[in-house]
Amino acid sequence: MFEGVFTGLSTALMPFNLMMVVVGCFAGTFIGMLPGLGPISAVALMIPITYTLDPSSGIILMAGVYYGAVFGGSTSSILINAPGCASTLVTTFDGYPLAQKNQAGKALALAAYSSFCGGTVGAIILIFAAPALASVSLSFQSSDYFALMLLGLTSVAAFSGKGQVIKAMMMTVFGLMIATVGNDVITGAPRYTFGQMDLVDGISFLLLAMATFALAEVMMTIMRGKMFSTSETMKPVALSSMKLSLDEVKEVAPTVARSSVFGFIVGVLPGAGATIASFLAYGLERNLAPLRLRKMFGKGALRGLAAPEAANNAASTGSFVPLLTLGIPGSGTTAIMLGALIAYGIQPGPRLYVDHPDVFWSVIISMYFGNLVLLVLNLPLIPYISRLLAIPPQILNPLIIFFSIIGVYLVSFNTFDIQMMVFITLLAVGLKMLDFPMAPMLLGFILGGMLEKNLSRALVVSDGSFDFLWNRPLTFSIMSITVIILLLPWVLNVGKRLGTKLLSAAD
Amino acid sequence: MSLTKDRFGGLLFLLLSITYGYYAADIPLLPGDKFEPFHAQTMPYWLSGLGVIFSILLIVLKPAPTMESESISNSNLVLMLGLMAFTFVFSVALPWLGFPITTSIFLASSYWLLGERRPKMLVFASVPFALVFWLLLTQVLDVYIAPARLIFW
Repeated sequence: MFEGVFTGLSTALMPFNLMMVVVGCFAGTFIGMLPGLGPISAVALMIPITYTLDPSSGIILMAGVYYGAVFGGSTSSILINAPGCASTLVTTFDGYPLAQKNQAGKALALAAYSSFCGGTVGAIILIFAAPALASVSLSFQSSDYFALMLLGLTSVAAFSGKGQVIKAMMMTVFGLMIATVGNDVITGAPRYTFGQMDLVDGISFLLLAMATFALAEVMMTIMRGKMFSTSETMKPVALSSMKLSLDEVKEVAPTVARSSVFGFIVGVLPGAGATIASFLAYGLERNLAPLRLRKMFGKGALRGLAAPEAANNAASTGSFVPLLTLGIPGSGTTAIMLGALIAYGIQPGPRLYVDHPDVFWSVIISMYFGNLVLLVLNLPLIPYISRLLAIPPQILNPLIIFFSIIGVYLVSFNTFDIQMMVFITLLAVGLKMLDFPMAPMLLGFILGGMLEKNLSRALVVSDGSFDFLWNRPLTFSIMSITVIILLLPWVLNVGKRLGTKLLSAAD
Repeated sequence: MSLTKDRFGGLLFLLLSITYGYYAADIPLLPGDKFEPFHAQTMPYWLSGLGVIFSILLIVLKPAPTMESESISNSNLVLMLGLMAFTFVFSVALPWLGFPITTSIFLASSYWLLGERRPKMLVFASVPFALVFWLLLTQVLDVYIAPARLIFW
């Protein structure tokens, strides 16, 4: 393991890669700060740039953007009460009230320190957890992979929220359907190309990611009319001192430690991600807090700000564990990174640890540097970076649209791709208006090809019988977890209803 | 049974799944493939079946309490469609007018559509940007961008 750590250190410490971490963190902070654009959009916007870099540098840049975007989202949550992404929504609960009390600087500093601690704890656990899991997963066979991919797809859908499970499942199936467009990976037979030569290679991952996240998000912002909002809440508040007193540090230290470990564990679970981690950590801290402090939650409690910030950054790190070791992305953002790695010709999963130790370890090590950059460079620059919020939206939005479409065009030099983007964006906007989640679709699309390949292999080996699902203990265990996760929302719902009925009957 | 947002979505997805399944039959198979446990049509048929099952579940099951519905005005919808139309026109005009001219027109018209009316801003935020970006791509990053067909006709 130490050999790997040194490989990672030597790769991550290369001047160019260090520059990528800094550039990624800055770019991520800029993009993440824009209301409506979260880490997924930020990472998607970076993909065309990373295509010109070597895999290690590219993935280091994207990891930096990821961290930066989460940090940027926190900044806009605190300064203008507009979370850049779902995982920083909880930050607004206590961050914005603090800013209104003329403590915006302190809130930003606390968010940065908590994020740094969360990310650092996460990176340290990752150093030990990832190789252990990777060495176990080296014994995986195609049936295990198939079961794992099913688990990844199912858990993303199952964690998508109340009333959204079926819709998320439908979107996963839709993503798998889109993945079948183009020549079949096994036989080479054209599928759903309708005679169009431009569709023979299938739909590009970059195109789909840009259309459904970057472009569709901008369009949704315009449609919601948020870019024309002139309400007081959208005006950035003035920054004050960024210093924390010793008592305040003592108060939040246990919260940060608890939330970091908790956030990492939640982040490792496929599908759970930073949003759930931040909500759970906030709830946990509110319950643990003494009554006097509990009353402060929602009105500018330091613990209420530190908990979600530490948890969402630790969860962002945790979500790299299933990506790097099993090839199963734990969140929408890591799904995009998975797609980018595949585009590089690198297959994340157990073999990544063996075949590309430089990529595996440099990503882990660069995460630590990313957190350091955010703390040392970004925090002092926040007063200047936040001026980005002053760029008129009527100028900023067309520029984001331009960068999205030109990013796709510069990879293929085919204007058909831009037309395809327009079509997919309109479709994505329609689906968003009907409250269909986009992340499961992208995950289905990315895992579609691998899922089909592994299912085909497993079926051929078992001579067409589905007994491969329960013949191997490992496959059976993963399938059992999948079924449990799939049924859990329904079981909980039924249990809740029964409990309510029993209570009303007892009354 | 009222037609809620969920049911409308379910119906659309049902239609999509059936159409997807229908076209699965058009996928050409290699000789003998039909006797194999897995071929090019297998996955599409399963996905179509799954799509139909989930759509029916969404249509039939009691609708979940919907999230706060977003207020989207017609004028904002028109803006969004306008921007999409500009993007489409950009893709068609790009090979004919070339990168700098198409980009300048696209940006200036998008700024205007979103409410920017100051002529100086419309020009300075589009033309120099397009030229600098084009120079950066062609001269610094050495990316080949095809010249305008209309000019080099």
